[in-house]
Amino acid sequence: MTVSQFPDPKSGAVTIRFSDVSKHFPPDVVALNDVSFDVRAGEVVVLLGHSGSGKSTLLRQVDGLQRASSGTVSVLGADVGSMRGARARALRRRVGFVFQQFELVGGLTVLENVCTGALGRLRGPRLGLLSYPRSVRREALGQLERVGLAAQAFQRADTLSGGQQQRAAVARALVQRPEILLADEPVASLDPESAAQVMRLIREISVEQGLTVLCSLHQLDLALSWGDRIIGLRSGEVVLDAPSVGLSRESAMEVYTQPAMRSVLTAAG
Amino acid sequence: MMPITRAPAGEGAPAQPRTLAAPRPTSALAFLAIAALLGLGCWAVLDLRINIATLIDSGRNAAEFAGRMFPLDFPGTGELLRLTGQTLAIVVCATLLSVLLSVPIAVLAASNTTPNRTSRYTSRGLIVVARAVPDVVLAIIFFRVFGLGALTGVLAMGLHSVGMVGKLYADAIEQIDEGPRQAVRAGGASRLQELTSGVLPQVLPAFVAHALHRFDINLRISVVLGFVGVNGLGHEIATAFRQLDYQRGMALALVVLVLCIVIELLSGAIRRALLRSTDRGRRSVSSVPSQRGARSEQRLSPRWTFQRIRRAGYLVLTGLVVLASIWGAELSVGQFFGALGDLGSTLGLFWPPETGGMLPTLLADLWVTVKIALAGTLIGAVLALPIGALAARNVAPRASVAKVFRTIVVTVRGLPELVLAIVFVVITGLGPVAGACALGVGAIGLLGKLVADSLEEVDPGKEQAVRATGASAWQVFCSATVPQAAPAFVGHLLYQLDVNIRSATLLGIVGAGGIGFQLLNASRVLEFGVVTTVMLLVFGTVLVVELLALWLRSVLR
Ligand SMILES: Nc1ncnc2c1ncn2[C@@H]1O[C@H](COP(=O)(O)OP(=O)(O)O)[C@@H](O)[C@H]1O
Ligand SMILES: [Mg+2]
Repeated sequence: MTVSQFPDPKSGAVTIRFSDVSKHFPPDVVALNDVSFDVRAGEVVVLLGHSGSGKSTLLRQVDGLQRASSGTVSVLGADVGSMRGARARALRRRVGFVFQQFELVGGLTVLENVCTGALGRLRGPRLGLLSYPRSVRREALGQLERVGLAAQAFQRADTLSGGQQQRAAVARALVQRPEILLADEPVASLDPESAAQVMRLIREISVEQGLTVLCSLHQLDLALSWGDRIIGLRSGEVVLDAPSVGLSRESAMEVYTQPAMRSVLTAAG
Repeated sequence: MMPITRAPAGEGAPAQPRTLAAPRPTSALAFLAIAALLGLGCWAVLDLRINIATLIDSGRNAAEFAGRMFPLDFPGTGELLRLTGQTLAIVVCATLLSVLLSVPIAVLAASNTTPNRTSRYTSRGLIVVARAVPDVVLAIIFFRVFGLGALTGVLAMGLHSVGMVGKLYADAIEQIDEGPRQAVRAGGASRLQELTSGVLPQVLPAFVAHALHRFDINLRISVVLGFVGVNGLGHEIATAFRQLDYQRGMALALVVLVLCIVIELLSGAIRRALLRSTDRGRRSVSSVPSQRGARSEQRLSPRWTFQRIRRAGYLVLTGLVVLASIWGAELSVGQFFGALGDLGSTLGLFWPPETGGMLPTLLADLWVTVKIALAGTLIGAVLALPIGALAARNVAPRASVAKVFRTIVVTVRGLPELVLAIVFVVITGLGPVAGACALGVGAIGLLGKLVADSLEEVDPGKEQAVRATGASAWQVFCSATVPQAAPAFVGHLLYQLDVNIRSATLLGIVGAGGIGFQLLNASRVLEFGVVTTVMLLVFGTVLVVELLALWLRSVLR
């Protein structure tokens, strides 16, 4: 397991830097508009915003799954936009990604799914659980234990409940030995109890391993309770960037209201 | 269930908003086209004088023929086993070849895995060409190069099958859930790893099912190809009929019939086991006690459960069958490469296309083939729609009814068209009526299955919604089940028509009317240019039907 320092979030090295990043989709969708922010090692940053505000698009820029139209995204000291092929893959290896719909391969066992997290550092295609080296399988089982799913290791992934699948997906990301963990609405499809469980897991892992976390959410309460810092997005623009400690519900709520609406609300309130 | 909005992996256009659009003029045109096809079908039935009276009238022929057929003359057991083994070996090798070729072609052809447009269109083109060149023509070409033997059949069926297997594989790849694949990519996997870990596990059951399905089809085709020089049972049948030895010929046809049904049942059982094992996996969710895992903590490979043993067993068995087939077919690499040099000069014989001064005859026969196909499809639809509906579990009044009709469908699918055609040639005499009847009855197998499957695939939620209003079973069927499956029906009918034009050509070879007879004749008298002309004519016709189907499907979607 990679040994990471435990930097103080305020002074840690910058791991993710967005500088004036815009993303356009033809013909006229502006998904991100001049977004700039830094994330430091070990921070847990929550992206908050309506659906359609650009959260997923932003996260995909970090992993190089999509490229910005303008501006630069640098991750772990490298410019993501300029990376292609093997170099882009090498970066992705260092960045774990957890998705809203878990995205496990349903027909495979849970353990094999978790093993696929190691593909980035293995050479060649893998068919079947036994094609992964024992060391990888052992590590994967270890991560499954970490997320409390060792007992389900040999079940088919699609036999798990939603919360279990998402924890397995976290284990898969951890097998990558990532330095950054991205999570795109990881609990939006879960019941409140499983949601809290998954968020707690992500939080704990971040603290244990000094992992930088960038996680999008659309529920304010979850954002306030699990993030160190909240970045609010509205129509692709950053409208809030503040530590969650001391942030009032009301000021965070403004992320959700239209400027026009806000004046109405202020007048009414 | 609709997937929750998920941003596409690439940077493609976002999903179009759904609107309550007014019916477009194109869909009116589509309905007109369908009506016109139906009209043509009716006209073909009338024009060919296919009716009960004719069929009864020809009963006398049948009686007379039966006299010459009995007693059936079976070859000795050893000979029978040798022939059967030969046929099976050729079919296994051909199917294997088609799978080996289809996997890479499908990856290149599927819109979500293709590296670029050029390779996509090239491989789609290859698939279309493979499907369009009839297996008989391929067999005629390879027979010329490699002579009587396994190689001719393996290559002819193997290459032609890519047209179906490659297309189905590409479709299966296009239907995968992109999410898991994107997750694998997000972990830093290479393109190849993405395919093997993110795509293959999703499509594997479909790949195996399609391969088995094609295996069944190839078995039947191999018998017809016996008439143009592919070893095995078909060749013996062809020889027997050529020598007017009906006792031997019909005995062998009976053997083929039994073999086809046995294989059909077998592969059906394997396919179902395949699907059931995935089901069972799902159901075991709650039944697996979590404490059991405490002991398996240290295990790094799965236990040898019954399911795992069975799966490994299937795998080993498949491997053995394949090895035995390659060995049994006596495929010689030396012969292949030795004769490959002749391929060029042989292909030269087929070019340029010639008409042998009988273009009008060829065109007239082509028209007969089209009529046979149209009539066969219409008869098939009339027979297959009710049978298919009753075979669907969610439509049949009782599970037992569905089972009975499924069995009928499966049994008919087991009947080789060749045997059907021979039977109808016996009943109605040589000519197009035999062809149309054979195709019509045969359609119960394919069309009936497709109809039943697409009825079973409808969203049960919508059925439940209608049932919840207090509707009767019949009302549920009409207002929830059929509307959902109707576009698929049109697609299936056109597919059947497409298949039938090819089959009608094939059946002509055994005397069931149409252009196929000209094909066989031309190859007998070594007028290969005419073979090419016939092929191009059939090719053109099939292309027209396919374009029509493509357009209709896109409009009716
Ligand atoms: N591939 C794409 N093509 C075109 N528009 C897109 C694409 N992906 C996202 N968008 C648009 O960009 C905007 C932001 O989307 P997204 O990042 O998915 O928001 P969120 O994740 O916050 O719901 C939306 O208006 C969406 O329609
Ligand atoms: Mg999103």
